[in-house]
Amino acid sequence: MAESKHQYAFFLGCIAPNRYPGCESAAIKTSAKVGIELLPLKGAGCCPAPGAFGSIDLNVFYALAARNLVLAEQMNMDITLICNGCYKSIWEVNHILKHNDELRDGVNEVLKEVDMEFKGTIDVWHLAELYYDPKICGVDKLAASVTRPLTGTKIAVHYGCHLMKPGKERHFGDTENPMWIDELVEALGAEAVQYRNKMQCCGAGGGVRGYDLTHSLDITNEKLINVTEVGADAITEVCPFCQLQYDRGQIEIQEKFGKTYGIPVLHFNELLGLAQGMSPQELALDLHGIDCKPFLEKIL
Amino acid sequence: MATEKNYGNPELEAKLRDRYLYTNDTNPEFLNDVKKVSRTIAHMCFQCGTCTGSCPSAPRSSYRIRLFMRRGVLGLEKEALNDPDLWLCTTCYSCTDRCPRDIAPTDVIMAMRNLAFKYDIVPRNFLKTVQLIYTTGHGVPNNDVNRSAREKLGLSRDPPTTHSYPEFMPGIQKIIDHYKLKENADRILAEEGQ
Repeated sequence: MAESKHQYAFFLGCIAPNRYPGCESAAIKTSAKVGIELLPLKGAGCCPAPGAFGSIDLNVFYALAARNLVLAEQMNMDITLICNGCYKSIWEVNHILKHNDELRDGVNEVLKEVDMEFKGTIDVWHLAELYYDPKICGVDKLAASVTRPLTGTKIAVHYGCHLMKPGKERHFGDTENPMWIDELVEALGAEAVQYRNKMQCCGAGGGVRGYDLTHSLDITNEKLINVTEVGADAITEVCPFCQLQYDRGQIEIQEKFGKTYGIPVLHFNELLGLAQGMSPQELALDLHGIDCKPFLEKIL
Repeated sequence: MATEKNYGNPELEAKLRDRYLYTNDTNPEFLNDVKKVSRTIAHMCFQCGTCTGSCPSAPRSSYRIRLFMRRGVLGLEKEALNDPDLWLCTTCYSCTDRCPRDIAPTDVIMAMRNLAFKYDIVPRNFLKTVQLIYTTGHGVPNNDVNRSAREKLGLSRDPPTTHSYPEFMPGIQKIIDHYKLKENADRILAEEGQ
């Protein structure tokens, strides 16, 4: 195993550790193979959920996210995470508080009650962008870590919303037709297929999944139609909440709309784990709502 | 000389003759409140509709983000905050990315939701998340099926978050209590008989 040069505090969030633990263990193991070490961020909580909390009271949203950031500041370590929702909370609040003195003072007044202070000394990264960054890993190094190429499979990439949008405030470039995660997928030997309305939302965000499930699933259903149209063997994403929406959502769509898709949904880290030789058991793929077997049969 | 159109409906004709929208039910401060919370230039909206055209919720509901932008500018606070469509935005930020005036309509919606909450207007699923985070630190807490799955993977049964370190819970609770969020969530749910 390569010696770890790059250490990060691993912010878990909620859905990865508590619903899809395979995402968590895959992130730790796959990143170790390219020289990234993930250390536990002890005592972290919910990011907090940007839709649910941000909709009710943005001040609580800022303060709770700042608490998580301070835990990493105390470790003197940048944060990495594997969920777009967490990225919106943790990255964005870090960014806002670094650049808005008034908000930072307000947050720090509250944090004083719990003996904390936001200093703005660390950065926040999505693990996928670290994989893409040649200074940390890069596509070539990622490709070199592959021992079981996903040759002959067609993968539809779902980028999700809160990682790259709003594009003006982020640093990922084009948000209408991005290709960088497609490049990561192709590094694993798979074909990244292009489909209609690739950047459309999965339908889960903003509290809509909890508020109006049918409405939310109808958005998911449109994506599933577009993905099926190009014959994708699996969907990959970088957000456990999108994963939940596509994976459990397909079962709910079957119940509510009577439509069956059966498309396996894998987090990019799970996909990378498979390509690096991890077994489906090591990735807890049996916890997925949609059976991954049709996809696994193509690569195992 | 042009003849006047006649629909045979005096009420409608009075409305059509009125070239200005008069309503006493506006709050002139509403736009400023929205701008303050959203930190976006909501008054710059010229109603082009790119936002609604980009919106994944628009084709499957009566939710129109452009309408909410107009309500903001006109100060139609009650109309905006009482409309159940306010909660159909998935916050995907497509409208924000495409707005030709560099407004963030998504953040306008978030601000309106914040303002609605001040009047106790809020769907109950949002309040339940508050209660979960207050008691466990997580919006989606662990369960026994997941604990044994974690164990099989060689992970700790509970993740190294507040689940494993409950001594961090009072910090989270103090922050939420500072804003009286749990108190309000409990009260609103109790009033609804939840």
